Amino acid sequence: MAIAAQTDKPTLLDKMKIEDMNVYYGAFQAIKHGSLDVPENKVMALIGPSGCGKSTFLRALNRMHDLTPGARVTGKITLDGQDIYAEDVDPVTVRHRIGMVFQRPNPFPKSIFENVVYGPKIHGENNAKKLQEICERSLRSAALWDEVKDRLNRSALDLSGGQQQRLCIARVLAVEPEVILMDEPASALDPIATSKIEDLIGELKRDYTVVIVTHSMQQAARISDFTTFFLLGELIEVGTTSEIFTRPKDKRTEDYITGRYG
Amino acid sequence: MAQAIVVSEPLERPAKSNARGRRVVDRLATGLLWAAALFVVFLLAMFVVYMFYLGAGSISWHFLTGLPTELTAGGGVGPEIFNSFYILFLTLLMTVPIALAAGIFLQEYSQTGLFRQTVQFSAESLATVPSIVMGLFGLLVFVQTLRWGFSALAGAITLTLLNLPALMRVTQEALAGVPATYREASMALGGTKWQTIVRAVLPSAVGPMTTGIVLISGRIFGETAALIYTAGTSVAHGNGAYDFNPFHTAETLAVHLWYTHSEALIPDVDRIGNGSALVLLVMVLIFNVAARVVGRQLTVRLTGKS
Repeated sequence: MAIAAQTDKPTLLDKMKIEDMNVYYGAFQAIKHGSLDVPENKVMALIGPSGCGKSTFLRALNRMHDLTPGARVTGKITLDGQDIYAEDVDPVTVRHRIGMVFQRPNPFPKSIFENVVYGPKIHGENNAKKLQEICERSLRSAALWDEVKDRLNRSALDLSGGQQQRLCIARVLAVEPEVILMDEPASALDPIATSKIEDLIGELKRDYTVVIVTHSMQQAARISDFTTFFLLGELIEVGTTSEIFTRPKDKRTEDYITGRYG
Repeated sequence: MAQAIVVSEPLERPAKSNARGRRVVDRLATGLLWAAALFVVFLLAMFVVYMFYLGAGSISWHFLTGLPTELTAGGGVGPEIFNSFYILFLTLLMTVPIALAAGIFLQEYSQTGLFRQTVQFSAESLATVPSIVMGLFGLLVFVQTLRWGFSALAGAITLTLLNLPALMRVTQEALAGVPATYREASMALGGTKWQTIVRAVLPSAVGPMTTGIVLISGRIFGETAALIYTAGTSVAHGNGAYDFNPFHTAETLAVHLWYTHSEALIPDVDRIGNGSALVLLVMVLIFNVAARVVGRQLTVRLTGKS
């Protein structure tokens, strides 16, 4: 029962398709038969109350659950039509193409420069000039360049929380992924830093497909094109963000939007 | 977790005397803790001063570089100093890579399972073997069965067996102390497990591991029982004071200290013994401080954290 978000234009391409996804932590089923199409160059917001499985869903999209002992993902998840959980697919390649920004800024205890070029380096780029170009381009795209250009060799840990999170986004951009997953990227930040991240997400969708988990409905409304509502491990409703927030079809979505759930 | 605070119960205002009583206890506790800490420093200071008082007179260029004697007075400890460093070097050369690899395996690769338990149980058991027993093992296996004779290599391998569990443990703990977010970030950027360990995890573990290496180095410097029957109680003859051949006998400074006081026939036992003890102490202190400085600098270089 794929709920396709195709109410917009018919030309919309689906970057990722998720069919009948189930995620288990041991015996506990955290995601139940989730199906979703993620349109290209759009921002897809995943909303729902705490513990509804939206982060679990997100982490299945770049095979982060492979790292969690006891976690198991079933179903079919494709990126440009290719099954990312297929036997012959290397999870390392999947994560190269599908980047992730975490809830808490998690820069490495290295210099700003080393943080940004970490990805390119592990993928084999050793040319110093090339790395500098990548560093500048990524930091510019993450709207951080002007703030840090004079101290690229200083520790990333000296940056503010908001700057650290933008650095983490720059670090993801440096490996040139196609999809960027964001797990409540602004939840640990103050309002000003949050609005900078939100502006940035608006810029990013020109070149990337963005899937963002957020606990803030206002944030989802501000930045996303499509919204998916989760409840107790189930995908309840998918639609354009304006539809979801103004004319939800499901009673449970309406209850959540209007503040009747936690 | 903290217990929930029961708000409904009226708070009793503590009487003034009670407040004073608590302040006295607080001050007393602070004072006692300070005293205990100062006592430790005092002990070390006393010890160092006493060692200098006894041994300083023995120290001379000739003592530090000269050859030891068996029967006459005026021997030096040059070869012993060299051998202490040489055996330390050989031991670390074997201990560090093996401990590092085993620690990484246990912490990063095998989360559960019989094999991990077996490795851990073996390491813990190995750690409790008394050094004299390890020395006798070295005597039987390396010195006699393999016919190496008393040798630097036999001593170094014995010391490796003795110190491997501790350093493996230190490695494991150092890795466990690295935040999971570093691993997650590296994996999410498309790093392989190995790249993640080498580039994101190990740099943060260098500091604690350096401290661990310093600690076992101190132990290796001072180790006596395990070396008496493996590296021997005499220095190699005919090669000058500095013998790099790992199959030659190699008495260390600590062994020499034991040997002069228990077996030697030299008339100036106290002079040689006190001098040796002082040199040993100073060497360990210098090494300790130097290694800590290096560890801190490495951490700053690798992680930008100070």
